[in-house]
Amino acid sequence: MGYETVDVMGDVGLRAWGETLQEAFRSAIAGMYGLITDLDSIEEKKSIEVSHQGDSPEGLLVGLLNELIYIFETEDFVGKRPEIEEFGEGRIKVRIFGEEFERERHPSGLLLKAATYHGLKVEKMGSRWQMEIIFDI
Amino acid sequence: MAVEALRLRRLDANRVEVPKDYKSGMSVPGIIFVDEVLEKDLEQKSIDQVANVAMLPGIVGASLAMPDIHMGYGFAIGGVAAFRTDSGIISPGGVGYDINCGVRLLRSSLTREEVVPRLRDLVQVLYREIPSGVGSKGKLRLTRQEMERVCRRGAGWAVEAGMGEAADLERIESGGVIDGADPSLVSEKAYERGKSQLGSLGSGNHFLEIQYIDEIYDEDAARALGLFRNQVTVMIHTGSRGFGHQVCTDYLEVMEKAVRKYGISLPDRELACAPFQSPEARDYLAAMRAAANYAWANRQAIMHWTRESFIGVLGLAPNRLGMSLIYDVAHNVAKVEEHEIDGKKEELVVHRKGATRAFPPGHPELPQAYRKTGQPVLIPGDMGRASFVLLGSQSAMRQTFGSTCHGAGRVLSRHQAIRQARGRFIRRELEERGILVMSAGRETLAEEMSEAYKDISNVVDVVHNAGISRKVVRLRPMGVVKG
Repeated sequence: MGYETVDVMGDVGLRAWGETLQEAFRSAIAGMYGLITDLDSIEEKKSIEVSHQGDSPEGLLVGLLNELIYIFETEDFVGKRPEIEEFGEGRIKVRIFGEEFERERHPSGLLLKAATYHGLKVEKMGSRWQMEIIFDI
Repeated sequence: MAVEALRLRRLDANRVEVPKDYKSGMSVPGIIFVDEVLEKDLEQKSIDQVANVAMLPGIVGASLAMPDIHMGYGFAIGGVAAFRTDSGIISPGGVGYDINCGVRLLRSSLTREEVVPRLRDLVQVLYREIPSGVGSKGKLRLTRQEMERVCRRGAGWAVEAGMGEAADLERIESGGVIDGADPSLVSEKAYERGKSQLGSLGSGNHFLEIQYIDEIYDEDAARALGLFRNQVTVMIHTGSRGFGHQVCTDYLEVMEKAVRKYGISLPDRELACAPFQSPEARDYLAAMRAAANYAWANRQAIMHWTRESFIGVLGLAPNRLGMSLIYDVAHNVAKVEEHEIDGKKEELVVHRKGATRAFPPGHPELPQAYRKTGQPVLIPGDMGRASFVLLGSQSAMRQTFGSTCHGAGRVLSRHQAIRQARGRFIRRELEERGILVMSAGRETLAEEMSEAYKDISNVVDVVHNAGISRKVVRLRPMGVVKG
């Protein structure tokens, strides 16, 4: 599993992959926090549990990441290590280990306004699942 | 690219047409305001987006784009589209995530020479007093009741709370408040995101900038606006923060369903919209107006702290400082306006996404102070080059539903910019040119360097030469606070 940023004019994209769809979701979640700050600077001091429902893997991905953006902006939570607790039937439940964002300790990366459907891809490529998502910044 | 580009038809020195047969389903042509130089920067995808918008129900005249056009969510950034209120649509993608992102400009009585010795202190104090960057919070903590008042009253709320003066309100587009906002149509999530962010700048291309006037193009107009050579001004560029972003996110979902419900066929799902007369459209409009009003309260609060910072650092009385509002424009918004179509007055919903209203002299929506001059148009450039003040024109009413450009528009993606900035010291380069910059972001300075943007002068020349607004003064940056 892994992720990388993708060049998009004016915004920022993320390509995330894993051996399974679940793994790809984990990569995407970690990758998104990596856009907000440096993952290496985050300690696992607490965890949050988030559930989301969607009628497609794409909808699930966009909805979940928007929920995590919301939690970042309202609770200052930045995550480092996501664990998928439940997955399937249009539902994902994830526990994310991380801590509260503090400007003194965590480098300021990108301010993500939202995860979007723009150029969104969730697909099986050979033996791995890959997703591409663009954030409005 | 070259083959497709041939399908554009040059109308005159400043406009190209995207003909109706460019894509099947277009009910009007597209018109992009570019000269031959900026035409070379046109991205295929943004031309396609102009064509896609021309397919939406009830579009009037043409799908328009300004010279700072680039690809956006569904609608191109730099796009202007007007729809009939009886048979047309409204679309959140035509407004953007940052509802009422906009610009305000303050004048002062100070000259550049008076400010330069204290510039470093000023920038540091402004950086401290006006929160910016990722995860930044404003100094205000609002109750739910106050938030609802912000939604209804906009900049007026901030003035009532002691931030600024009643006279400021006249010098804000729409008086700093759009009527018809309904706080009950805004989600709990938006309130949660918005309650701690009022009075913060945000990040990305948002900024607060101390500038001076280095070039005057129209002496009479400059005098009428209270502007003179070497005068220090302050420009504030920000929007509705997480509050508006959440409203957009929420209503894109509503619109996805509306598209299915009303059987609207779309060339791109990002153009999700609803018939203007539908309940979904009414709800979005009322929530969008609440977010627009939040943005005006935000810029009003930031302006207030800017004035206080200047008073504190320079130790001058407010009347000596003379810091008053020139104007405040929204450049991401949809508004119901009256326009003349084939000699008849019609009510239209005008989407401006990365485009600025540019109403002419005599327009009834303008305050007394600007009835003769026309509406001030504020165009921010990148942090190293320049910004501009222009005035609206009658020709804009005929050509662009009273609209003009909104900024420089990017030419490099953030990654390209970061790559090109490698091995350079952007902060130092700017400082050597007399521009002090403070920024919280780890890569903001590289992402936002001048080379990442089109030259704002070229963009402004096109709108000036096309007659949709006219140049008054040029502003040069001195001190910049970025997120």
